[in-house]
Amino acid sequence: MIASGIKRGTAELAILSVLENDALHGYEIARRIEQQTKGSLRFTPAALYPMLYRLETQKLIRGAWEISANGRRRRCYHLTPAGKKKLVPLRSEWSELFAALRRLAGVSNA
Amino acid sequence: MPDWQELVSQHLAGMALDADEKAEVHAELTAHLEESFEALRRRGLLEKEAAHRTLRQIGDWQSLRREVVVAKRRERPMKKRMHQLWVPGFLTLTLSIVFEWVLYKLGFQPRIISWGAPPGTLFYVPWLISLPFLGALGAYISSRAAGSRATVLLASTFPALALAFAFLVMSPIGWIIELVTGSDLDFKAVAGALLVEGIGWLLLPCVAFLLGGLFVQLLLSRRSSPSTVAID
Repeated sequence: MIASGIKRGTAELAILSVLENDALHGYEIARRIEQQTKGSLRFTPAALYPMLYRLETQKLIRGAWEISANGRRRRCYHLTPAGKKKLVPLRSEWSELFAALRRLAGVSNA
Repeated sequence: MPDWQELVSQHLAGMALDADEKAEVHAELTAHLEESFEALRRRGLLEKEAAHRTLRQIGDWQSLRREVVVAKRRERPMKKRMHQLWVPGFLTLTLSIVFEWVLYKLGFQPRIISWGAPPGTLFYVPWLISLPFLGALGAYISSRAAGSRATVLLASTFPALALAFAFLVMSPIGWIIELVTGSDLDFKAVAGALLVEGIGWLLLPCVAFLLGGLFVQLLLSRRSSPSTVAID
C-alpha cells in the first residue's frame, strides 16, 4: 500500500514537473524523465499512460492531438491551471518527506 | 518494421471504453512504440532486437488494458466492484437458475448416483455441462470491466459461492428451528446428506464455473502475451 502510494506520488510529481514548461507527448515525457533523473526513474508505457489518463481525468493535465514535423499524429500534454496549482504543494510535500527521511537516516547512522 | 498499430489493436482489443476513446489510446500507444522502436534502431540495434526491446516495455498487456480502463473511467470503488463482480456474478447466477428450470421443464431429469448406502449424490449432467459457458460469460463481463484476475474468477464462480454461503447460513438456522420445535433430528444423518448434496450442487458446479472462468483467463492472457505476436 505504502509502496504503491509512493510510486504513484513520485510518478505524478515527475510528470507534472516535466510538463511545467513544455507541452510534451508520451514518449518525450518518458525520455525527459529518464534523462533528467539520469536513468533513476524510468517510465514504461504500461506505467506512463494510465498515469497520464488519470491526471487528465483529474483535470491536472490536458492532451491535444498535434501533427509533428515528420507528419506523425501525437497527443501532446500540457499542464492545466489546476495542474500548476497542484504542483506547488506537491513539491513542498515531497521535499518535506525527503528532508524527513534524510534526518531519519542521519539519526540511524549516528 | 512491425505493424505496431495492428499489434496494439490486437492486444488492447475488448477494452471497455467508447470507440473514440479506444481509438485514441490505440493511436497514442502505437505512436509511442513506433518512436521507441525508431530510437533503438538509431542507436544501432538490429530490427528484431529493437522490436523485441520495444515490446518488452509493455510487459503485461492485460494489466495495461485494465489500468487504462480504470484510469479513463475513474470510477468510485463501489461502482467498480458493481461492474466487475456483482453484475457478472448475479447475471451468471440468474442464468444458471433459469437454465436449470428450463432443462427441468424440458424433461431432463437429474441422475442420482449412490455409492452403497443412501443418500446418493444428485448429478444434473445437462445443467453441469452448461455451467462452464456461464462461468466463461461471467468472467468475460468482469474482465471487460477491467476486473483483476481474482475478481474475474470470483465473478465466474459466483453462483456456486453464493449457494455455498446460503447453505452455511441456512443450515444452522434450520437446525435451531428443529431443536426449538422439538423435532427428533439426526444431526449426523443431516450433515452427511448435506455433504453428499454439496458435491452435486456446490462442488461440481463450482468446478464447472471455474473451468469456464479459467478458459477466458487463458484466452485473454494468450491474446495479451507478447509471444503470440510475430515480429518481422
